[in-house]
Amino acid sequence: MATAFRATTTGYRADLEQHERRLLGSLCADVIELLESREDLAQEDSTPSGAEDPAFAHFRAELAGLGGEEPLAPPEDEVLRRLLPDASSDPEQAGQFRRLSENSLRSAKMADLRTARMLLESTPVTMDEDVAPIFGRALNDLRLTLASRLRLHSAEDAERVHSLAVGPSAKDTDSFMAEIYTFITWLQETLFSAMTEFLPEHGTADDAAVAGDAGAGDPEPGDPESGDSGPEASGGAGTSSR
Amino acid sequence: MSSAEGSTLSREETDLDSEFSQLLSAARPYQVVVWNDPVNLMTYVSWVFRSYFGHSKARAEKLMMQVHQEGRAVVSHGPREKAERDVTAMHQYGLQATLEEAE
Repeated sequence: MATAFRATTTGYRADLEQHERRLLGSLCADVIELLESREDLAQEDSTPSGAEDPAFAHFRAELAGLGGEEPLAPPEDEVLRRLLPDASSDPEQAGQFRRLSENSLRSAKMADLRTARMLLESTPVTMDEDVAPIFGRALNDLRLTLASRLRLHSAEDAERVHSLAVGPSAKDTDSFMAEIYTFITWLQETLFSAMTEFLPEHGTADDAAVAGDAGAGDPEPGDPESGDSGPEASGGAGTSSR
Repeated sequence: MSSAEGSTLSREETDLDSEFSQLLSAARPYQVVVWNDPVNLMTYVSWVFRSYFGHSKARAEKLMMQVHQEGRAVVSHGPREKAERDVTAMHQYGLQATLEEAE
């Protein structure tokens, strides 16, 4: 039986059974494969004239990124749509944003999942502070994937999945997925509970500026640039250092 | 930019004109909205808000509860470029996020 994630002097550690590590690792591989399949489709989409010099295709894609071009349609697969969601409720805007950013988001997710897969190869599963968020994001993507496959869209669905997981062990695909989903939920919860202990209580953003944000819909339109630089700088530093 | 005058402009002026309007559009304030979903854990969402935006514990938990109870919360705003960066970061963390023009 696995033990929860806990903080150590060098980062975080969980003891997982071999079959648990294998299962999580192969799920990572499945999601990587799914994300890769989107690449093929997206490239077919943007390469109308058959074979093309890849370097030129890249250059053309760059150019396309600068001019107004065809928006990229969202993936048909429900899991991919959840992992690579629309960035706008307006379909045209969402498609334009997708054309510019989906590829890098997809690559970032595959990189996270590859890192997680590698970490799952040794026992105990250990990671330092910089890698823990990556592993945590990968666990989240596994949960999003399983949740999509389990048609988990509401609080009621979450109840249904929970009772599937704890119910009598009738081994259909759904109850098996529900069990894994519940296991990963627990693992992710213990990891982030441990990680939360190490965040500064008062934050790193300029809280005066942030508090101003709290009033809904008063973004100080007269001064967007200077009002923005504080939180942006600290937000950026916070993520890039990870 | 009136269209009657536009017809008498030289090509360069027209380009400058459209560049200017692009700059204006880029400077319009945007906001990033995070939407509720039944999968992302409260612990996780709070951690993301604290870690990525540098929010205090109290502020992050308030935003997280707003997402949870009201279905959505505005988590950042600024010029379009910043909003785009933030929405992509939220997507990388697996949160449902969209950008929209700030009211």
